[in-house]
Amino acid sequence: MSSPSYPRRRDPAKIAGAVIIVAILAVASLLIVDWMGRETEPVVLRVYTYDSFMVWGDDPATIDNRTFDAFEEQYGVEVRIERLTTDANGIVSRLVAEAANPVADVVIGIDNILILQEEAKSVLTPFTPSNLNLINDTLVNLLDPQHHVVPFDFGLVTVIFDSIEINATTNPELDALTFSDLATPELASALVTENPFFSSPGLAFLLSEIAFQEKLLGQDWEDWWSAVKDDINIQPGWSEAWEVWDLDPERKLLVSYGTDPAYSSWWSGEAPTTSVAPYHHDGNDYAWLQIEGIGLVKNGPNPTIARAFIEYCLTSAVQENIATNQWMFPANMDVTLHPAFDYALHPDDVSPLNDLLSAAEIAANLTTWLDEWENIITSW
Amino acid sequence: MEKRVKGHITERIGSLLVIVVPIVILLIFLVYPVIVVLIGGIISDPFTILVDTFSSQVTQRTLWFTLGQAGLSTLLSVLVGLPGAYFLTRFRFRGRSLLRALILVPFVLPPIVVVVGFLRVFGSGGLIDAALMTLLNASESVVNLSSGILGIVLAHVFYNIPLVILMVSASLERLSPEVEESAEILGASVTQKFVRIVAPQIKSSVAASSILIFMFCFMSFPIVLALGEGRLMTLEVQIWNAFRYFEYDEASILALTQVVITLALAYSYVKLTRTSDDGAVITSYMKTRELAELANRERILVAIYVASLMVLVAGPFIAIVQAAVFDPFAGEYTFRGFTNLLAPGTGGGLLPLLNSLSYSLLATILAVVLGLSLAYSHKSRVRAVPSLASSLTLLPLGVSAITVAYGLMLAITVPLGLNTNPWMVIVVAQTIIGLPFSTRAIEIALQNIDPEILDQADSLGASRLQRLLYVEFPLLAPGILVGAVFAFAMAIGEMSATLFIALPQNTTLSIAIYQFLGVRKFVEAGASALIVAAICFIAFLVIERFSETAQGGTP
Repeated sequence: MSSPSYPRRRDPAKIAGAVIIVAILAVASLLIVDWMGRETEPVVLRVYTYDSFMVWGDDPATIDNRTFDAFEEQYGVEVRIERLTTDANGIVSRLVAEAANPVADVVIGIDNILILQEEAKSVLTPFTPSNLNLINDTLVNLLDPQHHVVPFDFGLVTVIFDSIEINATTNPELDALTFSDLATPELASALVTENPFFSSPGLAFLLSEIAFQEKLLGQDWEDWWSAVKDDINIQPGWSEAWEVWDLDPERKLLVSYGTDPAYSSWWSGEAPTTSVAPYHHDGNDYAWLQIEGIGLVKNGPNPTIARAFIEYCLTSAVQENIATNQWMFPANMDVTLHPAFDYALHPDDVSPLNDLLSAAEIAANLTTWLDEWENIITSW
Repeated sequence: MEKRVKGHITERIGSLLVIVVPIVILLIFLVYPVIVVLIGGIISDPFTILVDTFSSQVTQRTLWFTLGQAGLSTLLSVLVGLPGAYFLTRFRFRGRSLLRALILVPFVLPPIVVVVGFLRVFGSGGLIDAALMTLLNASESVVNLSSGILGIVLAHVFYNIPLVILMVSASLERLSPEVEESAEILGASVTQKFVRIVAPQIKSSVAASSILIFMFCFMSFPIVLALGEGRLMTLEVQIWNAFRYFEYDEASILALTQVVITLALAYSYVKLTRTSDDGAVITSYMKTRELAELANRERILVAIYVASLMVLVAGPFIAIVQAAVFDPFAGEYTFRGFTNLLAPGTGGGLLPLLNSLSYSLLATILAVVLGLSLAYSHKSRVRAVPSLASSLTLLPLGVSAITVAYGLMLAITVPLGLNTNPWMVIVVAQTIIGLPFSTRAIEIALQNIDPEILDQADSLGASRLQRLLYVEFPLLAPGILVGAVFAFAMAIGEMSATLFIALPQNTTLSIAIYQFLGVRKFVEAGASALIVAAICFIAFLVIERFSETAQGGTP
């Protein structure tokens, strides 16, 4: 009965059906591609690490190939360095979330403070590599005597400055820096550090301050933070802090690594403009020793290959790439360092502040210290 | 007769499915994971945890600061945004739709980009400071507007002005010119006209945008973390502090507090926007003026306003554009950032670009499909369904990203073994984050459909499916488009949840920007940020084109 001029309609059910079929086909093909991708892979060894792992020299893909290809060929596996967009704390959180069904075999980057947390230990299986003698005993024991993690690299955390903007001529106290110097309005207003909740150098600085004030001077560590809290600049992480230090003409001091002068020299090809100011007390220089470890993920899918991989990572094949890509000291002491490292602050130059705070003391007090720090910093 | 009854029953089942399926999906992918995290964190001893957390001075300060800065940011955003909304609605000028689309861009920029742009313009040693230093011939830094509460509030205002402008101008557009003309004929003064006509018209859209902005600022994380310098924290920052040191009990109780407060706000938002649309007159034309008609004094005011808005909104954006093409280390201009976007492999921008586009497109489709059925369930006559649907839709605004991400990881990804390639979970997370926007936009468009048109379709003998496909969907199209674009923008800009779930193969542009900044590849970061902004800008231009021809709703 419809009139001839009435526009012809297609059957809506057919259109809807077609749309649904196309959608199902699209999703199904995505799923098939995803599934096929999984089937054709050889054994995959997943290594969780933080985002800036070995990215400060060669291109990450180049460095991964050069460093790990030999291992891949020997064991017929694919090594995937999974640089997660987070730091070691974030990796431990992920491993805790994945504990029921872990996909990673190895984790690199858990340091000598983080390993003291029960959660970090809970996701790792202690493992003693057969070639652990390549690493200095002191480092091994300072990191973790039970070998949940063994040393991969290490560095010294202290204050650095750009010697063009500020130096021993303008500020003689930089030659023998104390925390009292850093508490003066002039230097406190020039200092950038990192939030200890979000950054491992930031936490190392907090523990350095506690060790220095409490153990060397016998003073209350909290007073120092109360004195500087309105002047100091606290950034979420190391790269944000670096950005402020670089951009802001007022911020001349940065809590960073003792290898920064080496990096500066390697980058520019000249003598570095970045200098280091370790903390000074009674004729001695001090800095915080950060040791980053490599460990076996508990219940990971490929434990045998993972153990071989950890041993491989302690050999010079891997270790010789650390210095100019990671800008930390390789844990393996036999490796020859790049000449630029002559400018770095070396472990022999300082006494580690870690010696003043025992692992047990840190483990027992860390969250209390952090909460108290949070309380001081946020008070009005 | 029998056939009719049977058809009626299948239709009933069909419409029931439309309502039930999205609610079940949300219960599985949002409510269940969040409950696993929140309840799991406090189940051991809820009362002690509650007392311990809230007796702490840090928590109390954080709570007050969170509320205070959100209030202040909201107030300022509305004050600064209102003239802009009026200006954009009432004046005809060249490039008006371009400006409208441009002004929305800040809303979709990843927060980390905003922080960097902000420091470079307002920070010590930034553009303004450098200009002042040259001007005053000073060797020391003169002004730092980027730190502390001032910096945080300014950054929030930058972020949220677009919302005020968009929502208020949408309601101003519905003000019938006849009403104003009658008032003028009857001799109403400018003030009287504002108090009696304009203010009541925009009242609810101002309130609705205020609540939305308050919620965003209440949940603020990266901006406060960076500009607060550790001294100022929102609840979200405190949750992260607790989470990172594995104090899951404290993190959970704080996240629960957030949910309670934001859900109360969300509920009042829904109430306000519901009543506001009742009886709103949709006008076919608007009262507009040419810029040339303005008196000189007015023109100066407009110029001052536009100039200051430009400094605030365009300043950080210009800093980002500059960062995309200028290499500060080499001291030269380069297109390296853009060529990097086409580079495959590790560190290249091609994979993040493709990931971003495919995840956000999938998330947008899902958010629209779910949003459509949720919008229909808001109309359901079954008691409790509309409020259940509303709360579920708005829940994503009130649950912190880390709670959603950790919950999805714990309750979905790991048990299903998806953690070797969690792309599906990322799509789910991005869908959830865009859902409040797609649902609201579609719901508003749905409310604006004249019921008589549907009755006519019925009386002409259209089947329910025909009515849906040929009558309702075409009328809903602008609303669906607006919702889709907002869902897309939220998805492509999402960082916190994606960051936690993704493996390197799932890197999106937002994450890539964060990584580039972390290793001081500013050019690559700037170019990626610019691409995200450009994609969203084009999407907004598309909305503008459509809303010129049809009436669309804005969330």
